Amino acid sequence: MSRPDFGFSWSGARALDPSQPLSSEVQKVLDGEPGLLDCISCGQCAAVCTAGAYTSMSFYRVVLHLLRGETKEASMMSHGCMLCGKCRMTCPRGVNIHNAVMLISALMHTKA
Amino acid sequence: MERSAVFVIPFMAGFVFALTVLAVRYLWWLRGLRKQAPGKLPAVLFSHKTLSAINEIFNEAILHRRILKRNRRMGFMHMSLAVGWGMMILGGKFETWFHTGRFFHDTWYAVFFRYFEPQVVGGLAGAFWLHYMDLGLLVVLSGVTLAVIKRIKKKVLGIKNTTRHSRVNRLALTFLWLVFPLRLLAEAVTFGQYGGGGFLTGTLGKLCFTSPMCAVVELPLWWAYSLVLGAFFVVLPFSRYLHIPTEMVLILLRHWGLRASTELKPEEGLQAFEVHACSACGMCLDVCPAIGQQPFQAAYFMQAIRSGKGWEKMATDCLSCGACENACPVNIGIENMRVAARGKVHQDYMAKHDYLPTLSTRERRSANILLFTGCMGRLKPGITEAVKQLLEEAGLSWVHLDEKDSICCGRPMALAGRTDQAATMRAANEALIGSYRAGMLVTTCPICLNQFRNEYKLNIPVVHHSELLWQLMSEGRIKTETGLECFSYHDPCELGRKGGHYNEPRELLSACGNLLPVDREKSESLCCGNTPGSLSLSLKDRQNITAATLKVLEAPHPDKIVTACPLCQHNLSRQSKVPVKDIAEVLAGVLISTSTQAHYTHEAETIEA
Repeated sequence: MSRPDFGFSWSGARALDPSQPLSSEVQKVLDGEPGLLDCISCGQCAAVCTAGAYTSMSFYRVVLHLLRGETKEASMMSHGCMLCGKCRMTCPRGVNIHNAVMLISALMHTKA
Repeated sequence: MERSAVFVIPFMAGFVFALTVLAVRYLWWLRGLRKQAPGKLPAVLFSHKTLSAINEIFNEAILHRRILKRNRRMGFMHMSLAVGWGMMILGGKFETWFHTGRFFHDTWYAVFFRYFEPQVVGGLAGAFWLHYMDLGLLVVLSGVTLAVIKRIKKKVLGIKNTTRHSRVNRLALTFLWLVFPLRLLAEAVTFGQYGGGGFLTGTLGKLCFTSPMCAVVELPLWWAYSLVLGAFFVVLPFSRYLHIPTEMVLILLRHWGLRASTELKPEEGLQAFEVHACSACGMCLDVCPAIGQQPFQAAYFMQAIRSGKGWEKMATDCLSCGACENACPVNIGIENMRVAARGKVHQDYMAKHDYLPTLSTRERRSANILLFTGCMGRLKPGITEAVKQLLEEAGLSWVHLDEKDSICCGRPMALAGRTDQAATMRAANEALIGSYRAGMLVTTCPICLNQFRNEYKLNIPVVHHSELLWQLMSEGRIKTETGLECFSYHDPCELGRKGGHYNEPRELLSACGNLLPVDREKSESLCCGNTPGSLSLSLKDRQNITAATLKVLEAPHPDKIVTACPLCQHNLSRQSKVPVKDIAEVLAGVLISTSTQAHYTHEAETIEA
């Protein structure tokens, strides 16, 4: 049955289901940077981001994508990072964003 | 007199084995060398470079001058082992030549010469060689004694940490320690039985081993000496003692112009020689800001690289402050190797910076100074403001390059081992800098400073703001009031050890107040606990490093801790009880303003069509 066209669309439900195990590649990133689980999505990282001035990069959203299993989005977004490290300096949770970005960016590379 | 020479077989077997393994390993490491430098090598073999290499080999591999300079007792330990053993090898050759009139003998003949010729007489010259060989033995034994003391009580040798060795290295160490006491005993017994001998072996023989009963132990002792020496040679190519021959070859290859690869190749080229020239002497341990907290000191990193296990975390955890490389007596390119290792860990890492603005050089504006404050400057606007105030005071015009949009210089990417990924960033910054006509590029961030100097092709000098400010002060263009405030200064690793600027900030601070001496400064300075180099070290571990550094900086009770790097300033101030300021902020605080002379040249930038 085809959906009626109302001239707009909406996204599907993207809530996290904790009962679902994380995919192996997400787990590998989390093993490499366990600090990612400390992220509280406060947005400090996005506020200071050098790449964020030019692109849609914001690290807390990268984390959200990753935890939802949307590795492609997470990886694509982090490709623009310049590794300047301001986010790591300001992160109130001490997430090692440097390391996380390198691991997450590599996800797409290995897939391609 | 003819005596059975069967006991030399273990020594000879071990010796030949070591030589064979060494030859095979060296040839394997040197493979592909001809591709690197086709036709160049023969010319360089017979040049002054070889002579200067031999000079360095004598100074470092034999005399160990770099260790001596750092710690005399440790230096003496290493020197006595090398010099004493060298004396004995050289003396053995001359002694057998002198006594037999022939220069060439079987290798074992000189090693066990006393057993075969216990009663040589040769007048004064013969006596000279006897005492000379004993002196060599005594020198080595003094080194072995110090080495044993070092294992029991490190403090005696003036060190706090000594390397923990792997099993094969402990085995090799035991053999090495046994070789020389056994030689002493074997020679003493022989001289006790047959008379003669030098001041050490002869005297010991006369005192202890003249009884005919001792004849029974003579041959077993020579057997033991031969066995232990042979065993040492067998483990040598697989233990840290491989550094003995490898360091010499490394020095030669370096002087001949070979450079280590920027990729991690621990079994190929100069890097292989570097990895295996590390003697795990432990000079890198005490200087490491993370010693006692983290296990990634250079000696252990090299160990991990050699074994191929566990190097990844050691490479990505380390903060790349460069203290170990500075202290390394073999001058191993540790930083380069760590960066190469990080590149290997993150070989799949991919960046895409095609979004960066491409700047077309429409206009070339002029100013005295191009100011680049970098990413860190954006986070610490106070430092930038202070620098601008000082420039204004000096009457200099400037353009703040990254006032609105900043593009990273690329150094963090390089420290993460992926210099190749930073090309777009470098190009964008180069275009930006090139679109101005200026006398110099001034940066407030030492991280950017090194990147601009080493990786960029710029046609203007790049200086750190502390350099410029010191120049302005010595020219009298900025004047400060010397107050009573006390400062302790933290040398940023990128400005000090990597940039070589220790004096400018100190001169500036002395003009502002009292500069207090701290325990670890200049090339020995500690780490603020946060560099772009460390990728995987957790915040808590980094905070522990910061705490240890602050303890040293706070020790002389300063009113302010001063540094010259926005990253250090940010990181230290997070945990410090004492205010932490950048050198420019301190200077701006005590500036004697000559407002009558001040003029806004900033606005007066000439715009050329």
